[in-house]
Amino acid sequence: MARVGVFVCFCGANIADFVDVNQVVEEVKRIKEVKFATNYKYMCSDPGQQQIRDAIIQYRLTSVVVAACSPRMHEKTFRKALFDAGMNPYLLEIANIREHSSWVHQKDKKAATEKAIDLVRMAVAKSIANEQLHEISVPVTKRALVIGGGIAGIQAALDIADARIPVVLVEKSPSIGGKMAQLDETFPTLDCSQCILTPKMVDVASHPYIELIPYAEVLELEGFVGNYKAKIKKKASYVNFKTCTGCGACWQKCPVKVPNEYNMGIDKRKAIYTPFPQAVPNKPVIDAEHCNMLTKGKCGICAKVCEKGSIDYKMQDEIIEREIGAVVVATGYSLWDPKPYEEYGVGRFKDIITSLEFERMVSANGPTGGVPIRPSDGQVPKNVVFIKCIGSRDEAKGIEYCSKICCMYTTKHTILLHHKVPGSHSYVFYMDIRAAGKGYEEFVKKAQVDTAATYLRGRVSKIYKKGDKLIVRGEDAQIGQVVEVVADLVVLATAVIPNKDNPDLARLLGVSYDKYGYMSEAHPKLRPVETAKAGIFLAGCTQAPKDIPDTVAQASACAAKVCGLFSGDTMKKDPMISSVNNEFCSGCQNCVKVCPYGAIVTEEIPMSRGSKEMRTVAKINEGVCQGCGSCVAVCRSMAISLAGFSDPQIINEIVSI
Amino acid sequence: MKKLTYFPGCSAHGTSEEFEKTVRMVMQRLGVQLEDIPDWNCCGATSAHTMSESLAYALPLRNLVLAEKLDNTTMAIPCASCYQRMKVTKIHMDENPELAKEINSTIIEEGTYQGKVAIKSMLQYCYEDVGLEAIKAQVTKSLAGMKLACYYGCLLTRPKAVTQFDSPEYPMSMDHIVEALGAKATDFDYKTECCGASFSISNSEVVLTLTSKILEMAKESGAHAIVVACPLCQSNLDMRQPGAEKHSGKKFDLPIFYFTQLMALAFGMPEKDLMFNKNIIPVEKALANIGKIEPEPEKSKKTKKAVEAESEVA
Amino acid sequence: MITLGLQEKNTLLAEVNKRSGANVLECYQCGKCVSTCPVSQYMDFPPREIMQLIKLGQKETVYMANSTWFCLTCSACSGRCPRQIEIPAVMEAIRHIAIEENYVNNTKKVKSIRKFHNIFLDMIKLYGRSYELRLMAEHNIRTRDLFKDMNLAPVALLKGKIPLLVKPVKSIKAIRRMFKLADKLEKKHQ
Repeated sequence: MARVGVFVCFCGANIADFVDVNQVVEEVKRIKEVKFATNYKYMCSDPGQQQIRDAIIQYRLTSVVVAACSPRMHEKTFRKALFDAGMNPYLLEIANIREHSSWVHQKDKKAATEKAIDLVRMAVAKSIANEQLHEISVPVTKRALVIGGGIAGIQAALDIADARIPVVLVEKSPSIGGKMAQLDETFPTLDCSQCILTPKMVDVASHPYIELIPYAEVLELEGFVGNYKAKIKKKASYVNFKTCTGCGACWQKCPVKVPNEYNMGIDKRKAIYTPFPQAVPNKPVIDAEHCNMLTKGKCGICAKVCEKGSIDYKMQDEIIEREIGAVVVATGYSLWDPKPYEEYGVGRFKDIITSLEFERMVSANGPTGGVPIRPSDGQVPKNVVFIKCIGSRDEAKGIEYCSKICCMYTTKHTILLHHKVPGSHSYVFYMDIRAAGKGYEEFVKKAQVDTAATYLRGRVSKIYKKGDKLIVRGEDAQIGQVVEVVADLVVLATAVIPNKDNPDLARLLGVSYDKYGYMSEAHPKLRPVETAKAGIFLAGCTQAPKDIPDTVAQASACAAKVCGLFSGDTMKKDPMISSVNNEFCSGCQNCVKVCPYGAIVTEEIPMSRGSKEMRTVAKINEGVCQGCGSCVAVCRSMAISLAGFSDPQIINEIVSI
Repeated sequence: MKKLTYFPGCSAHGTSEEFEKTVRMVMQRLGVQLEDIPDWNCCGATSAHTMSESLAYALPLRNLVLAEKLDNTTMAIPCASCYQRMKVTKIHMDENPELAKEINSTIIEEGTYQGKVAIKSMLQYCYEDVGLEAIKAQVTKSLAGMKLACYYGCLLTRPKAVTQFDSPEYPMSMDHIVEALGAKATDFDYKTECCGASFSISNSEVVLTLTSKILEMAKESGAHAIVVACPLCQSNLDMRQPGAEKHSGKKFDLPIFYFTQLMALAFGMPEKDLMFNKNIIPVEKALANIGKIEPEPEKSKKTKKAVEAESEVA
Repeated sequence: MITLGLQEKNTLLAEVNKRSGANVLECYQCGKCVSTCPVSQYMDFPPREIMQLIKLGQKETVYMANSTWFCLTCSACSGRCPRQIEIPAVMEAIRHIAIEENYVNNTKKVKSIRKFHNIFLDMIKLYGRSYELRLMAEHNIRTRDLFKDMNLAPVALLKGKIPLLVKPVKSIKAIRRMFKLADKLEKKHQ
């Protein structure tokens, strides 16, 4: 005979204000299997859990029902309480009377109470048919794949590798370093970006536990947590990295000039190039799109000047495979193209540039030797107008959200301008100054007070040309007047957007993404680095716009998660997965088609014991199955059962109301 | 008898004669002998610092130089504005000795400023140097029954860096003094709001607006009267009160006392010497509350209940 | 409309900062001063806007504004300013520069305030002390508002609130000398 205990939670006022928790207890006490029922202010608290543990022992309970919040919130908590009282944790059922009743029926306490009673009644009925289940163990491949070699990927790779776990770091471009390698100084401390980044880049290249695969892309990922297999395409670099010394003879002699991506197209690079002098690896690649030899079959100068004979025009893309147990996605971000701002004359006026272009100009290793210039005439500007929220917070032209970093890098730019151009003056058009971060508000104060940057509160309405100046018109809401600034140069703080191929990569990895294309974390507050897919983690702007400190913190968090995952030789897995009863399986394979995880394969078994004739049946891969139940629903012969959601359990629930 | 250097200020001979007189009376009773600065001049008030920086420092500086001719370490000033101007000058001169020297040597012939006399407002002197215990000791006729809103205005406690006295937002020194006299100080949120000061003559509409709100809040606090420590506050709240009533359409009927008038009253000094006749708003109704002690209903009820509850338990 | 970027230097900001000892650039436009100020409602530009106008170098507007004349120097704003800016000192600096550089706001209210202060100072020059009755009367005459506060006069006089005579400083010569020399000193400092 079943002996069920029911524990109804007030959730402070969240439940108790809208559901009569006393009535719930009184009603469920009438169910004959219920041997004990009570309620308490916070069931999840230690005294609350103690009541459960005590009752299990005192009333010799055979199953427990907790009527409280969503199982996503506290199922683990209560399972542990059962376990601590010597009970199998899977004999717990949660009746979600908060999200499913009190929160959604706040205007009708009577109805909410009735519904809560029904929910508890169902849970009680289901729990009577609950079986003891046990966690499953799966083996783990202790190697991590990090996709993206910006500061996020670098940090994650180094932290994981430092824990003596092998890392495969795949970078799309010829060098690691990412956007941070393009920055001059970093807020709010103004330390040199290169100085803090390049040592880490070198560490990556020389780390015994890191396999760096530059100029490559991930094509496929199959398998499941702890047991993934990644297919990686190494793009043809046409240079044999093993023999190349990086001497530079090839790119010095190359006759083809191409706009230099690293310098935002302000100067030119060659068709054979390293992206920047501090590149890691410091080996050139040939840009196949522009190389005369590869496009027209003429030239071959680089091969001629290469003393080591490292140039190989016949090199092909190569596909390699790596077995890994976890993935860190750190693919970074892109910047929004400000072309839609026609009222600013973007595209028509040469002296309107983006913030990253400005950043390259003021960089010590930049194309203009660290001094900003007007693209129109090469003059050094005195009056520079910075406009924030270009594309950000602009539903009409760009995106709804705040890009988070522009306030601070614009602040930095006013300070850098002040340092690099004596007698210059910054004007900043802004809507808000978002400076939430350690030392950030102080940094803004530095710009406004020490640098005397003039902050004007309003969005610029129009920019027009007068002589060789740009007239920037906007309101200064601080005095309620329209102002016009006579500017030499205008800098647009363009929005942070996800990489265009983010959704493709997300689909390839089996990770969800939001309406903008950022990959989604498992929980916005409590699981910010995990994805819903076990073993895949997110670092940096792949997930949302963020600055360097946040990115690095998130990357290290990913590393901690990976190390945790790899802490044992096997992994524990939830036992609530499907299983096939071969006797009933007709081999129709409908389940194979609907399984979203590819967890079902087929196998051949003898028709009957000892028979040589074979038949096909479905087989569940325990490691991959996530327990979604799709296969159960489509199985016509009722051969598949989902542990924790067996037919008797479901039927009990239905019958109970 | 203790000696104290004293700067009466121009209004002592004019609008605030009753302040001046009662200050002298209570100080005598408290054993403090006032020594007036010989041949003092006007501090320059708001007008000097409005129009000219040098004059704003020169006028008070002459007084400071003269004050040093007396042999006391402290000077007390009844008027908040005089106090402020003198103290601002002292601080500025002490912080900028070069400037002090220049102004001193070019403009003032009476002597050389040394910066050896501390400056306090009369309120501050009573609170800090005389002390509540000494005040309490002189009370022969408690003001119990009277509810008073203590109004400090701007300059007695602000700016903090200058006054270094009490709170600039919610001072309590005067409240403590009137409570030492037996009266009850009300919770008065407008005790440091500006009354409009020198706009009294030049821009009286502003004063009417500002004082209306102050009077309204004092009334709302349950006060029978307002207590002040500044001649300009007194005249703006008292002389302009009929105007403020007309301006706001509300009846206030709040007499405005100097805190020294009430000290003298509580010290048992004859009422006829306290110059209540100079008050524009009649004081009789407010003074009639003395001795009328209302029971505090809620508290006593509660204690009664508590007593009952206790006895039940027993 | 305000046009920016034409001046090499913001001389207004430099001058006001020098005179007041405050740094107007510290102001981050929170507006706490405006809601603190008892007279901000009467000002052309409340203190926060004055600060911004100084940052934008709007000399004419700042010097001509009535704001500085309305400032009562009650110091409530500076006591609450989160950036601890001595706003009354800024107001005073503007007023002094405006007087020196002959920016004259001739609106009725500012005129009245200015006249009051001038009469007050004349009074001190004359007697070494202020003489309230004459101050009131003279202000009425000079602002051509003869009957202002006439309702107050009889009761005030009757009650002895306003004495009929003033007791002047004995060494009145010293006072007059001060006025003369202060003026000279002022000019020297400019």
